[in-house]
Amino acid sequence: MTAIPTFEPTLYHVKRGEQGTALDIAGFSLWYGPAARALHDVALAVEAGLVTALIGPSGCGKSTLLRSLNRMNDLIDGLRTEGRIRFQDQDIYHPDTDVIALRKRMGMVFQKPNPFPMSIFENVVYPLRIDGVRDKGRLAETAERALSGAALWDEVKDRLEDSALGLSGGQQQRLCIARAIAAEPDVLLMDEPCSALDPIATARIEELIDGLRGRYTIVMVTHNMQQAARVSDNTAFMYLGRLIEYGDTETVFTNPKRPRTTDYITGRFG
Amino acid sequence: MSASATRARPPDLAAGGEPFLFGLGGALLAGLFMILGVLALILWNGAATFWPRPIERVELRSGHTLAGEPIRSERFRPAGSAAESRRTLYRVGNYDLYGDEFRWVDEAEIGRRDRPGDLVLIERLEWGVFIGRLVGAETAGRALDPADAEAFAAVHAEARRRWRGMRALERDAIAEVNRRIERERLDLRRLELRHGAGSAIVRAAADAAESRLVHWRAEHGRLSERLERLRSEDARDTARVVESGGREVALKLSAIVRFYPANALGPLGAIRVYLSRWAEFLSEEPREANTEGGVWPAIFGTLAMTVLLSLLVAPLGVMTALYLREYARQGRAVAAVRIAVNNLAGVPSIVYGVFGLGFFAYLAGGTIDALGFAESLPNPTFGTGGLLWASLTLAMLTVPVVIVATEEALASVPRSMREGSLACGASQWQTIRRIVLPRAMPGILTGLILAMARGAGEVAPLMLTGVVKLAPELPIDASFPYLHLERSFMHLGFHIFDVGFQSRNSEAAKPMVFVAALVLILLVAALNALAILIRARLAARFRGGQF
Ligand SMILES: Nc1ncnc2c1ncn2[C@@H]1O[C@H](COP(=O)(O)OP(=O)(O)OP(=O)(O)O)[C@@H](O)[C@H]1O
Ligand SMILES: [Mg+2]
Repeated sequence: MTAIPTFEPTLYHVKRGEQGTALDIAGFSLWYGPAARALHDVALAVEAGLVTALIGPSGCGKSTLLRSLNRMNDLIDGLRTEGRIRFQDQDIYHPDTDVIALRKRMGMVFQKPNPFPMSIFENVVYPLRIDGVRDKGRLAETAERALSGAALWDEVKDRLEDSALGLSGGQQQRLCIARAIAAEPDVLLMDEPCSALDPIATARIEELIDGLRGRYTIVMVTHNMQQAARVSDNTAFMYLGRLIEYGDTETVFTNPKRPRTTDYITGRFG
Repeated sequence: MSASATRARPPDLAAGGEPFLFGLGGALLAGLFMILGVLALILWNGAATFWPRPIERVELRSGHTLAGEPIRSERFRPAGSAAESRRTLYRVGNYDLYGDEFRWVDEAEIGRRDRPGDLVLIERLEWGVFIGRLVGAETAGRALDPADAEAFAAVHAEARRRWRGMRALERDAIAEVNRRIERERLDLRRLELRHGAGSAIVRAAADAAESRLVHWRAEHGRLSERLERLRSEDARDTARVVESGGREVALKLSAIVRFYPANALGPLGAIRVYLSRWAEFLSEEPREANTEGGVWPAIFGTLAMTVLLSLLVAPLGVMTALYLREYARQGRAVAAVRIAVNNLAGVPSIVYGVFGLGFFAYLAGGTIDALGFAESLPNPTFGTGGLLWASLTLAMLTVPVVIVATEEALASVPRSMREGSLACGASQWQTIRRIVLPRAMPGILTGLILAMARGAGEVAPLMLTGVVKLAPELPIDASFPYLHLERSFMHLGFHIFDVGFQSRNSEAAKPMVFVAALVLILLVAALNALAILIRARLAARFRGGQF
């Protein structure tokens, strides 16, 4: 029998942004079933306008936490949460919260690119279409802005009417980023956006994230330590559903304060 | 390949899997063989039926002569004889004279046989075919030489045209006047039911109706008179024909559907007869207890029912599946519903027929009649079998197929695609409508195709819920309100059953069974091809590449 691990309280040494706090998570716990607790009392404040990286071993609850932010977990039967997450002075898990309006203010990019089976153009303007926008000029303008923002415009500007499924994996992922920023959300949630991409596409997306800094609050999950070190301002290290350490990226990577963080970052994990 | 590099082959055959593979291939072959066999049998018999056969004149040793189309020969043992002999079945026609259309002739009794060129086969409106020689004709009191083929054909065509006019007068014009008169009566009856007989409103309405009725009765008289005139004119165009035994008969020209000299028909003439028979079969109404004429009302009824069935079953099945798969909480209740739906597909179809008759026709239809058509009671309007009830019954029968196929199609839409849409702030309904349904459409259409094919081929429940042997009117026609969902209708499947097994003259009916079966198969195939085409179009959109 293995010993039940003991946990000290989360250690905070966060870099503060100029725009205050975007998301305030307090005492948040989540159960996938009566005996399947995936998050234990997570508390962290995501700084607005900065890039926050979520790192940790596989299965520690990074995706679960990320998907809790725009309530994508609602689709799962038997899910239960405790604690609260505040977003712009509003409790995300309050029964009166308008989930659809909430999701419209948070773009999401998934681990695997998931373009819709439509044209490239229709993919990008999908968030506007569901809002009932029909104005051709506005749609075209949005498509160009979002695709440029996702560094894809030059590659697809001549084939906007082609199926999005004909794009390469990296292009599809950038298309999904374009779709996520088309409706100009406040927050961008990314779950391992580069895991399916080659180094060149990864570099482009990192560049892109760097370019979006300041305009969007970005929360990204990554398994790539270098990536987290390169693009993020703050890093949260999670382990077995708990937040172990949350601080500014430089300190976390060069001078971690918790032994578990050190082990994970140096690869001495086990 | 050296023996040391590969493992030794297992000694026992079963381990190699070959016998099993032979079994699989054999099963496929047996299945294919059965399907192709059925298709070939129906195609061959159905396609050959209308080809004109030669007529043989047979002189028997007894001195008796007969003429007919040889149908088939077989070996048999004559009564009281030890030796086997051959006999041939002839279609001798002339049912009105002989009392039988077919006759077996023992080869041993035949003295001489030949195929004279002057024997004609005449297809008549009544009494089946006549086989004999054309000896004279009369039109409007003056004699006509039947040897002058062109003049005779012209007079015959004119007589047929007049006959069609008479039929239209009777069926359309006079029937329409009758309908008007009946409607006046029903309107009055409705008022009586509402306000009481003898009330002031009813009396005023009756007076108003009377003046209109006078007009319609006069119209009726005028049309009947015209019909009488045409009839007497028609009776003066006759042909005189002689059968092989020497008896002479006069036939009304208008009652001759088609005639041809069977033995003097060149290949072109034969093709012409063949095509004209097919045209009649596909476009005309049946005659002679359905054993002759066409099957147009049955084709129309089958099509109308299948289309209506699809229109009913598509929304019902798709919406049920959408609810089950997308909205309902997946739990024990939904699992139970799913099992029930799957089991529904296994209920014998006649049970649905009984349910359709009891629930739809008698209960629902009876209620509609009591509420909306009280004036025509005790004659039922909706309270008996009809197109609507039959289609509804079949929709119930086929809805499990659509539900199961739609659920499969919905389940096959990747979760990531739904999440992508929801993450964009789309509501669940928007996600379903814009992402899920288009993706699932080919699968849904596959289910619809299967349901349609099943529905078009179903007969048993229809016999209880609205299909009849002979429907006087089509369910869609030119009289208001054009679409008559309450009418009973004809159906090819039932037509096959009726012609093949319910008619007095099974020998004459047999070929018609094959022809009708061929048409039914082609009809179902055409409907399926159409649906598959639509599906292929849709599927092409999701294959990526181009839009
Ligand atoms: N839908 C679900 N139902 C039940 N348990 C789940 C579900 N999704 C995740 N879990 C469990 O919750 C825990 C956290 O999962 P999560 O997907 O958040 O991990 P992760 O940190 O994103 O891992 P990875 O880095 O491999 O993506 C895991 O133990 C997982 O098995
Ligand atoms: Mg994950």
